[in-house]
Amino acid sequence: MLKGVHQKLDPQQTPAFFVRGASAFSRTVFFCALSISLMAIDARLNYLSQLRQGFIAALHPLEMVANAPSNWVRDVSHYFSAHNQMVQENYSLKQQAFEHQVRLQRLNTVEAENAHLRSLLNGDIPIQPKAVLGEISHTGRDPFSRVVVINRGSQHTIKAGQAVVDSKGVLGQVTRVFPFSSEVTLITDKALSIPIQIERNQLRAIAFGEGNNKLDIPYLPTNVDIKVGDTLVTSGIDGIYPAGLAVAKVTQILQDPDSPFAKIISTPVAEVSNHLQLLVLDLPLAKEALPIVSPPTTAKTPDPTILKAGTTASPSTKRRNPIQPNNVIAPANNSQPNNKVKPNAPN
Amino acid sequence: MRPTNLVVVYITLLIALLCQLFPWVGQGIIFRPDFMLIVTLYWLLRAPHLCNIGTAWIVGILVDLATGSLLGQHALSFTLVAYMGLSYQRRLVLFNPWHLAGYVFALLVIERLLMLMLKLFEGNDNPGLHYFWPVISGLLLWQLMILLFGALTRSKS
Repeated sequence: MLKGVHQKLDPQQTPAFFVRGASAFSRTVFFCALSISLMAIDARLNYLSQLRQGFIAALHPLEMVANAPSNWVRDVSHYFSAHNQMVQENYSLKQQAFEHQVRLQRLNTVEAENAHLRSLLNGDIPIQPKAVLGEISHTGRDPFSRVVVINRGSQHTIKAGQAVVDSKGVLGQVTRVFPFSSEVTLITDKALSIPIQIERNQLRAIAFGEGNNKLDIPYLPTNVDIKVGDTLVTSGIDGIYPAGLAVAKVTQILQDPDSPFAKIISTPVAEVSNHLQLLVLDLPLAKEALPIVSPPTTAKTPDPTILKAGTTASPSTKRRNPIQPNNVIAPANNSQPNNKVKPNAPN
Repeated sequence: MRPTNLVVVYITLLIALLCQLFPWVGQGIIFRPDFMLIVTLYWLLRAPHLCNIGTAWIVGILVDLATGSLLGQHALSFTLVAYMGLSYQRRLVLFNPWHLAGYVFALLVIERLLMLMLKLFEGNDNPGLHYFWPVISGLLLWQLMILLFGALTRSKS
């Protein structure tokens, strides 16, 4: 009653001729509450990922339409790019391919030799990850997040957690998978960290994303043996990124006399803005790393683990070592290889 | 003001969504106006019986899903801005175009501030002043909307 009288007296709000439901204020309160609870659910619980996946799949045709103009422009400019340039490019590519082939021949023998040596020493054989070629369809639409979206999704057997590399080095990791696309979080994102090794002296550390196209290596003492220009490569400890991929170059070392730690800043070598093509690497180790929890007993357990692993691993690994997962994850399990790894450890 | 119908509202919103989905590269993303917000605000201020706070919320959810941000962020800020926009909606006839532009400017700044706050709560770092570029480009888009669909203020007599 009182409210009705008040409304009539209010010069701003003319009394409504027709009832139009709830007032603006109550609607606002309702929708605010709804969105806050949605945010809480999305942040803490994982219920909404299905909804998101469905929506992105439904949005796919619209996305194709939105992408079409830029694709046309690209195709047309490709079509009209000078014949001369093409010939030149073809020539240089052929030369490059030839050089690579020569190197590849050596690589094959070296790899075989390496495998043989490792088998002699009862070590595990490094697994060659398979890869899927993808293309960046757009960089993330949210300027806050360091994310690119690629045109390969769960329909192309992409799974969350896979590593993504380009021709120069590691780009990041697949974090969300949709049917026809997936989201790759770059290593510079604040939420990502990547186990690395200094290429020069094999010093192991973990690099964290800084957010602004930089990586930070915290918790290393000020007298650590890292120089500006050092290359960081993946160490392969996590079982996600295969060992030996280039990650970043150290660009700056700040030594604060008050702090016990050096501030080491490096920039990633992968070029997100320059390329479109990238490779999504398979996760071969994730499955095989599982039995590592149980296998301290050597003689009895191998049979079930072999039966399980035999479906995924190559048959040659059966014979050599029942504890075939990479020894770096659980160095305590097998003491012999551990000793060989030791010299690489920080001094 | 000419009367509008619901179909026009939804078609323009769909076009805005398309613009939002357009692959913005590199620096372009900094200057990208918030298409969905501008279109929603325009229809909200012009025809609140067709496009109200609920529409703004749904549009916000769509933006959240399309950008992959935390679900509900844009929905919350759009709802609040829609409420603020509606509170002066009946007085807009008295505004001149400059006042209206100032009003929309204020609304867009408020939306950016709300988003910034939510993003900072989420754990992102401060993006700097260029985060506010979409306000300027949004005002340009607003003028375009007025050119295309008609002014909200009284025409000069």
